[in-house]
Amino acid sequence: MGMVSTEHLYKTFGRFMAVKDVNFSVEKGEIVGFLGPNGAGKTTTMKMLTGYLPPTAGTASIAGHDILDEPLEARRHLGYMPENVPLYDEMRVYEYLAYRARLKGLYGKGVRAEVGKVIDRCGLNIKRKNMIRTLSKGYRQRVGLADALLGAPELLILDEPTNGLDPNQIRQIRELIRELSEEHTVLLSTHILSEVEMICNKVIIIDNGEIKAADTPAQLTGSLRAAGRVSVEYKGDLDIVMRELGALPTVKKIIYEGSLPGGWQRLVVRAEPGTDTREKTAAIISRLGYPLRHIYRHIPSLEDVFVEMTRHD
Amino acid sequence: MKSQEETPPGTREKSESEAVRRRTSWFATLRTLYLRELKVYLGTPFGWVILACTMVLLGFCLQAVIQIMSKSTGEGVMYYLLNNINFWFFFIFIFPLITMRSLAEEERQGTLEGLLTAPVTTTQIILGKYLAAYTFYLILWIPLLLYPWMSQLANLYTEYRYNITASGEIPYLLADWFGPYAILSLMGTFFIAVGLLCSATTRSQIIAGILCTSFMISFYFIGRVTELWGEFPAAPVFHYLSCTEQVSSFSRGLLDTRPVVLYFTLALFTLALVKRVVDYRRWSR
Repeated sequence: MGMVSTEHLYKTFGRFMAVKDVNFSVEKGEIVGFLGPNGAGKTTTMKMLTGYLPPTAGTASIAGHDILDEPLEARRHLGYMPENVPLYDEMRVYEYLAYRARLKGLYGKGVRAEVGKVIDRCGLNIKRKNMIRTLSKGYRQRVGLADALLGAPELLILDEPTNGLDPNQIRQIRELIRELSEEHTVLLSTHILSEVEMICNKVIIIDNGEIKAADTPAQLTGSLRAAGRVSVEYKGDLDIVMRELGALPTVKKIIYEGSLPGGWQRLVVRAEPGTDTREKTAAIISRLGYPLRHIYRHIPSLEDVFVEMTRHD
Repeated sequence: MKSQEETPPGTREKSESEAVRRRTSWFATLRTLYLRELKVYLGTPFGWVILACTMVLLGFCLQAVIQIMSKSTGEGVMYYLLNNINFWFFFIFIFPLITMRSLAEEERQGTLEGLLTAPVTTTQIILGKYLAAYTFYLILWIPLLLYPWMSQLANLYTEYRYNITASGEIPYLLADWFGPYAILSLMGTFFIAVGLLCSATTRSQIIAGILCTSFMISFYFIGRVTELWGEFPAAPVFHYLSCTEQVSSFSRGLLDTRPVVLYFTLALFTLALVKRVVDYRRWSR
């Protein structure tokens, strides 16, 4: 049993089906990036996992505790940072965190020790006596993260932890999450794909309430149609080259992208995913004696995967 | 708050990450929620403004009471204070003011999400808010107890300043004070619960306030129906529900168990309804 596993989760709001038959699991120690366009159902799924929204059908379990049968036990194992980080504005940072720690069942000296620990961890020391109302967005985000960390939960669910931050703050939060992943399993949602590529070891892409893909970033980018695409520029005859290249076993299609000034021809060779046709392509062109000035194998990014999976046109 | 260190031996920390000791006491969580809510009333200007305004308005009432008492005596000061249209005029607005923000504001700010994703039950959240609002409501009536003492001070001052032995005195008589406090606390149990219910149905404090105010006004007038329509077959129901009549009998020292049952059952029923509403709003969203 993994840290999180969902079984046929559904959520409807009136007639609108926000989440359809979502099944995924997160193993202990993974950092999972939850991706999808706005309104895809990321936040809804996360809210269901935390027990805030009850699922219309299906269920899920956190660290082996069913969210419907043992909601309190499931919540004890997770720390949640909601989107936009709602906080009590009239409380001070330390006071708020101590209150949250007590709610999570800490008591006595344990509260002070634990709050001190998360304050250090999230770099809130200089703000511990400040009113939450006066904090900047970045510090609010840190308070939210500190709150999620209280009580050392095994699972952290972070809903857009870097939303609305400037690049420096994003970098700081990213570093923090990377550090946290040593002790916690992390499930985070974000729009910043480069971020996911950098820190996540598993990606779940959701669109229209359905899971489109769940795999490691490398696997996802590797299996993409765009993977293994090679673009070539050479000077010479078009038909012969296209015929020769088309005879290669891994090549699926050759697209002529037009001629460039100076007689250069530009081709795109679409091959099986995960193959490298650069060497054979170059060999064919040099055997024909044509000059070759550019050969490039396209490496798809997560962004390509995302766009390919969630495009609606 | 005493620190409670009664972890049984053997459950002590095993590893670094296990070092966080937790307890899962239902009442400890309730107390945490209760104390925070109470802090909202007493630690921000919000509660103090209500308290100050209530005091000023009670002062106006006392002014009217002194006028009445100079002509007719026979009942205690609390009787005249509570059976006074001036009193009811602001009394029914106290409840919406106290309760309108409690759940509506949590919902608007989104902090309800944080609460409900902590290992806390809806019942604990609602009871915490209810008890805190009720405690604050009781605190509102504490300064009234100063009136007898203040009347003595005033007498001393008159004696010193004008050399007249003043006789107007508000005595501390258990008979005068117990009844009114009993009915005030009884009405509070139900009306605070109603306020909470109104606050649970919406995310806007204003709407919660309007709902609660209109309920309070209707409830007040239901109690006065018999004054308008006279006695008719269903009149006993209106007498039973009449908070003005209850206040009048209690503040004369006539204690009755019927309002005790009425308000306790209504309060319990309303609180159960609040829980339903909070859960329902989550389910239906």
